[in-house]
Amino acid sequence: MSNVDFADIRVSQQPIAGQTVPVAVVPRIRKQNYFAQIPSALQTLWSGMKLTIGYFLRPSRIVTRQYPENRATLKFPERYRASLRLEKDENGLYFCNGCRSCARACPNASLIVKTRKGLVTGKNELDAYVWRMDSCTFCNACVMACPTGALRMGPEFESAVYDRRLLIYTLNRHAGPTPDQMAKLDEEARKQVVLEKRGPYDGPVPLAGVAYPNIRPIGPPPSAQEDNA
Amino acid sequence: MTVTIRKLDELLQPPAAAESGLNTQEYYVNMGPQHPISHGSLRFVARLDGETVKQVLPAPGYVHRGIEKMCEHLSYRQTIHLTDRMDYFSALMGNWAVSKTVEKAAGIEVSERAQYIRTIMAELQRVQSHVLWWAVLGMDLGAFTPFLYGFREREIISDIFEETIGARLTMNYVQPGGVMYDIYPDFAAKVKKVVAYLKPKIEEYDTLLSGNVILQERLRNIGVLSQEKALAFGCTGPVLRASGVPLDLRKVDPYGVYAKADFNVAIGSRGDSWDRYYVRIQEMRESLKIVEQLIDNIPEGAHTTTKPNVKVKLPEGVHYGQLETSRGILGVTIVSDGKEASPYRMHFRSPNYCNLWTITELAPGWRIADVIAILSSLDLVIPELDR
Amino acid sequence: MHEIALRILLAAGAPPKTIAERAADALPSDPLLAAALIGGAMIGVLTFLTLLGLVLIYAERKISAHFQCRLGPMRVGPHGILQTVADTVKLLCKEDIVPTRGDQPMHLLAPFLSLGATVLVLLVIPYSPLLHVADMNIGVLYVTAISGFGVMGILLGGWSSNNKWALLGAMRSGAQIISYEISATLALLVVVLFAGTMSLRGIVESQEAGWWIWRAHGVGIVSFIVYLIASTAEINRTPFDIPEGESELTAGFHAEYSGLRFSFFFLAEFINMFVVAALASTLFLGGWMPFHIGRLAGFNQVMDLLPGGGWFFLKVSSIIFLLMWFRWTFPRLRVDQLMRLEWKILLPIGFVNLLVASFVVLYNFYPFPTEITLP
Repeated sequence: MSNVDFADIRVSQQPIAGQTVPVAVVPRIRKQNYFAQIPSALQTLWSGMKLTIGYFLRPSRIVTRQYPENRATLKFPERYRASLRLEKDENGLYFCNGCRSCARACPNASLIVKTRKGLVTGKNELDAYVWRMDSCTFCNACVMACPTGALRMGPEFESAVYDRRLLIYTLNRHAGPTPDQMAKLDEEARKQVVLEKRGPYDGPVPLAGVAYPNIRPIGPPPSAQEDNA
Repeated sequence: MTVTIRKLDELLQPPAAAESGLNTQEYYVNMGPQHPISHGSLRFVARLDGETVKQVLPAPGYVHRGIEKMCEHLSYRQTIHLTDRMDYFSALMGNWAVSKTVEKAAGIEVSERAQYIRTIMAELQRVQSHVLWWAVLGMDLGAFTPFLYGFREREIISDIFEETIGARLTMNYVQPGGVMYDIYPDFAAKVKKVVAYLKPKIEEYDTLLSGNVILQERLRNIGVLSQEKALAFGCTGPVLRASGVPLDLRKVDPYGVYAKADFNVAIGSRGDSWDRYYVRIQEMRESLKIVEQLIDNIPEGAHTTTKPNVKVKLPEGVHYGQLETSRGILGVTIVSDGKEASPYRMHFRSPNYCNLWTITELAPGWRIADVIAILSSLDLVIPELDR
Repeated sequence: MHEIALRILLAAGAPPKTIAERAADALPSDPLLAAALIGGAMIGVLTFLTLLGLVLIYAERKISAHFQCRLGPMRVGPHGILQTVADTVKLLCKEDIVPTRGDQPMHLLAPFLSLGATVLVLLVIPYSPLLHVADMNIGVLYVTAISGFGVMGILLGGWSSNNKWALLGAMRSGAQIISYEISATLALLVVVLFAGTMSLRGIVESQEAGWWIWRAHGVGIVSFIVYLIASTAEINRTPFDIPEGESELTAGFHAEYSGLRFSFFFLAEFINMFVVAALASTLFLGGWMPFHIGRLAGFNQVMDLLPGGGWFFLKVSSIIFLLMWFRWTFPRLRVDQLMRLEWKILLPIGFVNLLVASFVVLYNFYPFPTEITLP
């Protein structure tokens, strides 16, 4: 009854660019005469209406989720890229040794790695790892480039802030040696190692500057708070 | 070669004096750049006589971000994430285009497993892109419900991408040498479930929109693009195929594992908006066919053959690679000076740019509502044509 | 309970009167009562209008959401009931922008014309046997004339906005509405032929033996469908919402309106939907008459349990749901296809229908009697 016969897809072979390819020619719309078009039109309109009323009458087909009411049950895949974090081992030491492979791999200089000479180990040590979320494109190049597996992209997506300066934060909570470097020290040297604290906004890109009147920073985002714990 | 530059004002002819006996006056109207036809920020200057369009000139450039210039100081691996942001509905295919060109020029081998994964992901993305196009076409023509149905299907496919790749829109997944992450063991099962879910949905789309007499009347014989004109404009993709030319790079110049899959190239017979519409619906079915054939046969192997830290250098000269995205042939031209690890010049041949200019030929003589229908059937993504 | 009051009144020998009639009766003896009745009726209608707008807009959002596999407003109030209240407050607080180079007096006047026409039609609709503000013996003619008046608001609004897109939308709407009025009127005339009277109360009362949609077998159903299609075009709803064409003209004729006066246009559209549904119910579906099947006395008594107002509400709600169902399923017609539908398809069908209806009425081709006197 409809104007188009959807099953009428003619398959044939046609030549193009020196070869023959199998083609499927799509159906055309038949033009009907004045009197036949009215019942045919009404019938097609009615089948469309049947489809939508089917969705209306079945509330189980609702696919939207109510955020933030469903926050407690939200699950994200392991690889979901919403925020960058530095990995620690079971003793709380960061794997990052400050080699800057990630900063070189980053296409738009969103990573600033500040290192210093370790006071106890004498080796290159991470001082402050600054991630600029305001320019990061979440392309995962840094994670791929890291030779020690120190970086990971995690699913903490609630990073909205009212002040743009709050998007530049230091990912490490302390400055200290890596587990490998720690393992090479002997007992007394290990006791001398002090993990100096670093706050989320302590990096080489300071939060200082002209303060906006009447706007107070609302505090560090949840991912930074988690690392604090 | 000479290039003539003309300004927009010169291209628009002045309004004609009274032509018909009715003493009407032609007037200019701006469609966009902010416009509910949500293809992006594209501006059209149209000269209208009442409801009839006399001339349409696109004035693109509102989303120009200098991607090609940015690529000149990035290594090849770093340029790939920018292709995500060009045609973001075929992000994986954009990644693949650059990777392909770099691999061919530098002689990098890709494992069979990676090629299978790339092909399957690209075809899923093609379905996703066409579903979105269908949804937006419905919305442009006044049916708001297909928009929501289309996005529901997109979400299902995005969930697969999210699990394997980690991102839903800006993937940066296909890298020179393979893919960024290997697939999980339950990938095949999940994809098969999605394919089984999508097949009846395409039939539903036929019931809801394609079979609807109102939509058929809106699209039938509107904006007929003949084969010669289509080829002269440089159109590719479904726009060209709707005019009857079966040029599909997946068949003519196969890459990935397309040569192993058995599918048809959907073409139209007249080149009107209905053909452009139904060619894409048929392409969705063919893409699902490809995925079904390939999903159970993914061979074991490494998912990448290069290390991310190693910089790729291309030999001196001009290198070109091309790929069939959902909208046409995306070509990547890399000019390398042989010494640097970044391109001297990188140019993207954007399919949307060539498809866009057909509107100057197709629109005159039709009404405003038809111009909207033609634009929707051309399926433009503005960030890609502006780069 | 309504029916009990009605029976009591009838038993006392007093036929139900509209409020206007009561006011007219009271005028010579007690002008204060007359003024109070009329004032009360006006306030009642305006309150009804506002509440109706709130409910209809909320219903549209929820119904459209459920068609689209989502939930709609859920936050403001339980299940979003207070959403429209919040939207109204927001609209009232917005700045009223009048384009400086537009025609300012016309720009200020246009929304009132649209809303005014709608309110005037609301006055004559019989909501229930007791609740009827005014009845005219030329009811149907009055309704058709005043609805045509509503197009003035749209044309003025589009013209005075000094905006090409608004003008386009307004001109399209003008052409659309004056064309579809003809088909709508022809469909209504069929019922007038059968009922023998143009007064709306008379038409409702003539359907006591059965609703015109099936009692005027064949002709009634065709008229009903033609009336539905024509009036969907009258009120600028998809698939005929080309004047508003959201994806083409952004907002069409009300592009340059904001705040309270935009809310008038918005409200007018939804109240028009109610008016169209009310007219369809009154003329084709029996108005406040319950659903009776000829001789089944028990069934009829069960049907009578729901008062007349309740029946009217049910019928109007189902037609409004039907109109919303159309909107969220179909794409929109192009303006010349719209004109073609009217002039080449609906109008010939309407004429043929009217001709057949006049034959049926003249030669009594149907078994049911027409005139019914109240017991």
